[in-house]
Amino acid sequence: MNSNTRIACVMVGLPARGKTYIAQKVCRYLQWLSVSTKVFNVGNYRRKLHGAHQMHSFFDPHNTEGEIARKEAALEALKDMIKWFLEEDGTVAIFDATNSTRERRCMIIDYCKKYDVQVMFIESICQDESLILQNIMDVKLSSPDYKDMDPEKAAEDFRARISHYEEAYETLNEMKNESDYTYAKLINVGSQVMINMIQGYLQSRIVYYLMNLHILPRNIFFSRHGESVYNLEGKIGGDSKLSPRGRKYALALPELIKANLGDQPLTVWTSTLKRTIETAKHLQYPKLQWKALDELDAGVCDGMTYEEIEAKYPEDYFNRDEDKFNYRYRGGESYRDVVYRLEPVIMELERQQNILIIGHQAILRCIYGYFQKLSQDDLPYVKIPLHTVIKLTPKAYTCQEERYKIDIDAVDTHRPKPKRPTDVSN
Amino acid sequence: MSLIIYRKNTMAAQLYKTESGRLFHAGKIAIITVGLPARGKTHISRSLCRYLRWLGVPTKVFSVGNYRRKAMGTAGKLPQNFFDFGNQEAAQSRRKIAKECLMDMISWLEAGGQVGIFDASNTTEERRKEIYNILISEDIHPVFIESMCDKQDIIEANIRSVKITSPDYIGWDREAAVKDYWKRINNHLGHYQTIADTSLSFVKMINVGERIIVNNVKGYLQSRIVFYLMNLHISPRIIYFAQTGETLNEKVQKADAELSPDGIRYANYLKNFLLNLREKEKKQRIEEGWGDEDERTLTIWTSARRRSYQTAKPFEDEGYIIEQRTSMAELNLGIVDGLTVDEIKARFPEEYERQQQDLYHHRYPRAESYHDLAVRLESIILELEHEKNDVLIIAHETVLKCLYAYLFDQPEDEIPRNIIPKNYLIEIIPSAYGCRETRMEIEYTMNQTWTLFWDTSVCYFEPNKAFLRVGDF
Repeated sequence: MNSNTRIACVMVGLPARGKTYIAQKVCRYLQWLSVSTKVFNVGNYRRKLHGAHQMHSFFDPHNTEGEIARKEAALEALKDMIKWFLEEDGTVAIFDATNSTRERRCMIIDYCKKYDVQVMFIESICQDESLILQNIMDVKLSSPDYKDMDPEKAAEDFRARISHYEEAYETLNEMKNESDYTYAKLINVGSQVMINMIQGYLQSRIVYYLMNLHILPRNIFFSRHGESVYNLEGKIGGDSKLSPRGRKYALALPELIKANLGDQPLTVWTSTLKRTIETAKHLQYPKLQWKALDELDAGVCDGMTYEEIEAKYPEDYFNRDEDKFNYRYRGGESYRDVVYRLEPVIMELERQQNILIIGHQAILRCIYGYFQKLSQDDLPYVKIPLHTVIKLTPKAYTCQEERYKIDIDAVDTHRPKPKRPTDVSN
Repeated sequence: MSLIIYRKNTMAAQLYKTESGRLFHAGKIAIITVGLPARGKTHISRSLCRYLRWLGVPTKVFSVGNYRRKAMGTAGKLPQNFFDFGNQEAAQSRRKIAKECLMDMISWLEAGGQVGIFDASNTTEERRKEIYNILISEDIHPVFIESMCDKQDIIEANIRSVKITSPDYIGWDREAAVKDYWKRINNHLGHYQTIADTSLSFVKMINVGERIIVNNVKGYLQSRIVFYLMNLHISPRIIYFAQTGETLNEKVQKADAELSPDGIRYANYLKNFLLNLREKEKKQRIEEGWGDEDERTLTIWTSARRRSYQTAKPFEDEGYIIEQRTSMAELNLGIVDGLTVDEIKARFPEEYERQQQDLYHHRYPRAESYHDLAVRLESIILELEHEKNDVLIIAHETVLKCLYAYLFDQPEDEIPRNIIPKNYLIEIIPSAYGCRETRMEIEYTMNQTWTLFWDTSVCYFEPNKAFLRVGDF
């Protein structure tokens, strides 16, 4: 990627079309790939400047005062965005607002041009009324705008707000002087995508990701394999079988999943290693094995205990804790390598609905880190204990998380981040 | 069987395969091209094939045109009205040939292939439905790629640069060939139906690279294909490769040293050599009536290493745009950086042995393998596909080896063995059927005369280098 590239992804669309969800997802995806990315939400600026509890009349295109106030908020957000590009060396900014008129889009393009920022519009069009309604109920009514308001009244007000926008809404149109604009138009979230004038690798990568997104409700379950023989012996890697306690966990797993999911469909993904396949054995769902889900390759250290590694490769052992995300075992992999190898899994995970992944510690850390927005420093240390099911439910801003521990003992394989006594900088 | 040979030659696999050799659970995929003649269908097919093979996906193009030429001979030998829609007899034989080609593709997919590309015009709704039904019954996912073009000059350029140089028109008068080809297009025109059935998985490309409509495309590999198509264009352009100049510290990679006086001299000669060459080629194009009188823009890409952008400095001084790309840094040598081959043998005998066994995948501690480098270059490859200007890439030899392998559709084990000689300029011209290259020595003597010579099989070695350069791998 050209190191000077600066891209503003400018969202376009009526309220409740999943713009914020898309903005947050793109942001997370790029951060996970180490691209510096930030979302600028105009709604937040508007609330800061003009207060949260604005009723729908504020959004009426005939309300000149409201119009000026909203433009002011957009300009503030734009200014901050440019400042972020210049001062913090940002690469991708996501400008989250309706931007539903040609005039507004033209203003943004002109503004960005001055600072050599490429603009890519991302328009979300949804013709499915029930999806829109569901989005309103799920997201909008819990927004700060409707805090402490009767939900029914709030929904009514929000629908009135949408109709104000509809009045002035102009879709991106190549026939009307927007043929040179770079844009991706998502129709009914991914069923049709129109792509215009893509300007390079990173933009195409973003569209590629967008093509895989959907906003249907679903759950993602993670579980590590049951306790393995190697876990008991304190060894890493290998392809060992489950311990007796691990087998007990495998037996208990179907009931837990059933209790949570009822009769909903589910697909189970495992790695190609024995311990995950064995753990999935009793689950009565379609199963797929992924080579890409195999545990982080520990290279020459495969099959050794941490003590053995410390004795045999003291330098490596120390280096690993210095920068665990980037540390690569001799002849093996680093967390960073795993993140790249998991890319197809993440894409497929975005496409699917209910999925249970039976995986390994490092792999689940990376996938969990993607959904829960962990930094590269924290990701390699996050706790993913044995004999525990983690359930994630994606929402607009975050994932809701629940953990279910099955009461079968297992060893603790977690090694906390060591404290460095030498750090005197603070 | 040929398949086994094929598997041994899989490309610089970036992705992870299942045991069947197919990627994950993506199954078998058929890409069916749709469009009038001269809309870049073959170019799209070949380029996509090359990219997927680079990712490690077993991919093959099945060209109905080739089958037709094999069965019936080239265009000159065909009956006058062979491409007429009204000609029942010709339609019959065209169908038969297409069917044979399709069946071969299906057998190839059954035998372990993953993506088959069916390169034909498939311009009617009826024809597409027929193909669709056959594929579905064989458990193959069909994806249609329709190429449309509403700019007459692009079509004309495509006819002139691709079609009349195709095997159909060998020995033809240029203008007669162009005329014949337009006739072929016009025969199709009245019967052409654009894809309208939104239940199908399809991609419509309008003016290759400008606008794309993606409909009902599901699956990882399918979306990855669209990812690639977003960056593809078929305008003519030239890619040049040149190595970086010599530095003050050739021994240690980490030193990121400045160019030596000799390196600076090389940089200047490179600039003069290339600009001269471009001037010459421009004149030639005008003489041949290509109508290309505008100055073609040249952009220079370098890595963020000093040796790389300093080699581009003379171009910058003349007002050319230099783009630094950090991911184009050379293969990282890790702990063997700065060591001679003998020192490596002495200190890491086992690692050295392993490296010799597998030059492509092996990595020294803290180092990168060629495979790592190939993966890292993915963004560069897509940017290179995207670039419409002519590009000079000034990079380290390891980087050029990988990019060269991509452009020439080479299997991964050939990458470390590629030879990118110093003091040579490699000129690469992509075309529908593959890339053409010319290697020219930049002979830099003090009296500033540049000699050009043509050499396709250069075997170049720098013997007895005292220390290990990355290129020695």
